[in-house]
Amino acid sequence: SREEAEAIEKELLEDYRFGRQQLIEIWGHACAMAVTKVFPLPSLPRKQPTVLVVCGPDQNGAIGLVCARHLRVFEYEPTIFYPKRSLNSLYRDFTTQCEKMDIPFLSYLPTEVQLINDAYNLVIDAILGADAEPGEVQEPYTSILATLKQIRIPIISLDVPSATGWDVEAGNSEGISPDMLVSLAAPKQCATRFLGRHHFLAARFLPYDVQKKFELNLPEYPGTECVVSL
Amino acid sequence: MSGLRALLGLGLLVSSGSRLAVGSGRCLARRWAPAGRWGAGQGRSSSSAMESAGRSGVKYLSQEEAQAIDQELFTEYKFSVDQLMELAGLSCATAIAKAYPPSSFTKSQPTVLIVCGPGNNGGDGLVCARHLKMFGYEPTIFYPKRPSKALFEGLTTQCQKMDIPFLSEFPAEAMLIDELYGLVVDAIFGFSFKGAVREPFGSILKTLEQVTIPIASIDIPSGWDVEKGNPDSIQPDMLISLTAPKKAAQHFAGRYHFLGGRFVPMALQKKYSLHLPPYPETDCVLQLA
Repeated sequence: SREEAEAIEKELLEDYRFGRQQLIEIWGHACAMAVTKVFPLPSLPRKQPTVLVVCGPDQNGAIGLVCARHLRVFEYEPTIFYPKRSLNSLYRDFTTQCEKMDIPFLSYLPTEVQLINDAYNLVIDAILGADAEPGEVQEPYTSILATLKQIRIPIISLDVPSATGWDVEAGNSEGISPDMLVSLAAPKQCATRFLGRHHFLAARFLPYDVQKKFELNLPEYPGTECVVSL
Repeated sequence: MSGLRALLGLGLLVSSGSRLAVGSGRCLARRWAPAGRWGAGQGRSSSSAMESAGRSGVKYLSQEEAQAIDQELFTEYKFSVDQLMELAGLSCATAIAKAYPPSSFTKSQPTVLIVCGPGNNGGDGLVCARHLKMFGYEPTIFYPKRPSKALFEGLTTQCQKMDIPFLSEFPAEAMLIDELYGLVVDAIFGFSFKGAVREPFGSILKTLEQVTIPIASIDIPSGWDVEKGNPDSIQPDMLISLTAPKKAAQHFAGRYHFLGGRFVPMALQKKYSLHLPPYPETDCVLQLA
């Protein structure tokens, strides 16, 4: 549930003294790894391995930025759409890192769905996370989500499928239906309604005691992998 | 905890997704050409890519260059120390898992002693220890000089809360280390090291010179001059060079030389003519010949 997700994060930051940037780096890297497992480079239909990463204003967006950077290292060609940049100084550096790696930032998202379908192989939804407030989602995200609902290329949502009037617990039939979900730390309740083909978990660094305390019953990770398919 | 160890009992440390064929060394230069993408037609397996890495002319950095690159990553590229330390520590743990899988340990438990120095190399060691624990090893840390900075305090807490023991004193005899542990990770000094070795690290290194179990050094074998090496100091079995190898690595005579720290942006690689060989698929480490 949203409360539990917040409690886990709080514990990691306060008791375990993980740094926020550290956690975001770990999650972003794991998300990129998960994407490469389901959509490896040779499997992409277009000539160029282009990926559109749509980043929201908060932590989920920052995770998207880190994910984009790692995808770049893995030789994908990410493009970022980051309309409302976080003022949080912790997250600003993630933007600079992407810019300095020559990852282009779109100045606007085409509303013409076919343009997106034609230009990109995948879309990564890093708009809203489990920390977002339920209720009203504002522009520009309402239009963005409306556009994303219509695209035909696969969408990968980070942690929770973004939606307007969204609820991390109930999910929302009005939201986008991603092809793939990467749950961070542990799946959120709305993931029970996930209908897509691929559900991955990115949480290997989670200390054993935290897993036990919250009764997460996480599956085992193979070898030295940082993601596991659920 | 046994659950975590059980999963590593499989002893196999697969790189992610063998579906992806590794591109040749051209990959770096031809990144944007459609034909430069990975594909079945490339015809280079990951093992041959590994063999050629040593012959590919990878640059060995001077101490000054190493420091300049580091500085640029932080000031120009705005990476934070904790971000890069996390990736570096993960690389070290991954490389260790490849060279010394838990199943290869002759002792009943895959115990590892990690000796952390007073600076960033020590920090890399702390991150490495935490990941080794997650991979099913049983790390123990010796961290005598801890900087009072939030970064290091946080990393220490993370290890403590994961039940990684911290020794209060260093085993007095090499034989004791040989008996208790299967591997030592040397995270004492890194590429900023200059001048004389201060206590307690002098005595620690003297003891480590006598151990018979393998030593894996992070970035630079401690006690070595960053460019010239040191035949009188420890001779590790494994070296994990971070970002790019330093000149001292040319004197490395151990079995395993890995490259880690897969975060150097292309522009920076070009600027310093690093000629880094391509990493296989999504691996964060690469074995150099």
